[in-house]
Amino acid sequence: MASTLSEWKSKPVTVLTCDGRLITGILAGYDQLQNLILKRCVEKVYSLDSPVEEVELGLFVVRGDNVAVIAECEEKADGEEEGEEDIRAEPIHEIQGNR
Amino acid sequence: MLFFSFFKTLVGKEVAVELKNDVVLTGTLHSVDQYLNIKLTSVRVVNQERYPQLTALKNCFVRGSVVRYVQINPHDVDTELLQDATRKANSPIAVGGGKGGE
Repeated sequence: MASTLSEWKSKPVTVLTCDGRLITGILAGYDQLQNLILKRCVEKVYSLDSPVEEVELGLFVVRGDNVAVIAECEEKADGEEEGEEDIRAEPIHEIQGNR
Repeated sequence: MLFFSFFKTLVGKEVAVELKNDVVLTGTLHSVDQYLNIKLTSVRVVNQERYPQLTALKNCFVRGSVVRYVQINPHDVDTELLQDATRKANSPIAVGGGKGGE
């Protein structure tokens, strides 16, 4: 019944942070507090005016306090990236009321 | 613990989770834990035009601290049972134990 992240160990995941950023990387490690270690992670920056911008981040430790959602995602296949570039979106709001 | 037990009864049901950043995710409740972290499967973002970045979400883990509401189908809940359990949990007998020794 426990809700754990063990299913996604070493799998690519997308993390929505509390400040509205989307970071995709391989879940190398985690703990009970949702502190995460993401390998080869990339931030995807969406905007209304320009195509998706990808910022390479490398190896990151994300503190669990700042994690909102962790989602399983498929590994990027070269053929699928073309569809991604067209996504135009407003930024996601930050989490309100988390002191 | 009451709400943890309550959510356990809803595993397998469709719920809508509204986050504190106004994103609403609907999906099947896969599991819940003592922090009320929620794992959802078959996730769909309500209002896909506003959040096209989240279209690819299928299964996700939502941290309990970022949840604003969990919307449930009324047919999936026995509200009277829930109210009774809440009353018992908050009764003077249950609470009294912590207030001695002043």
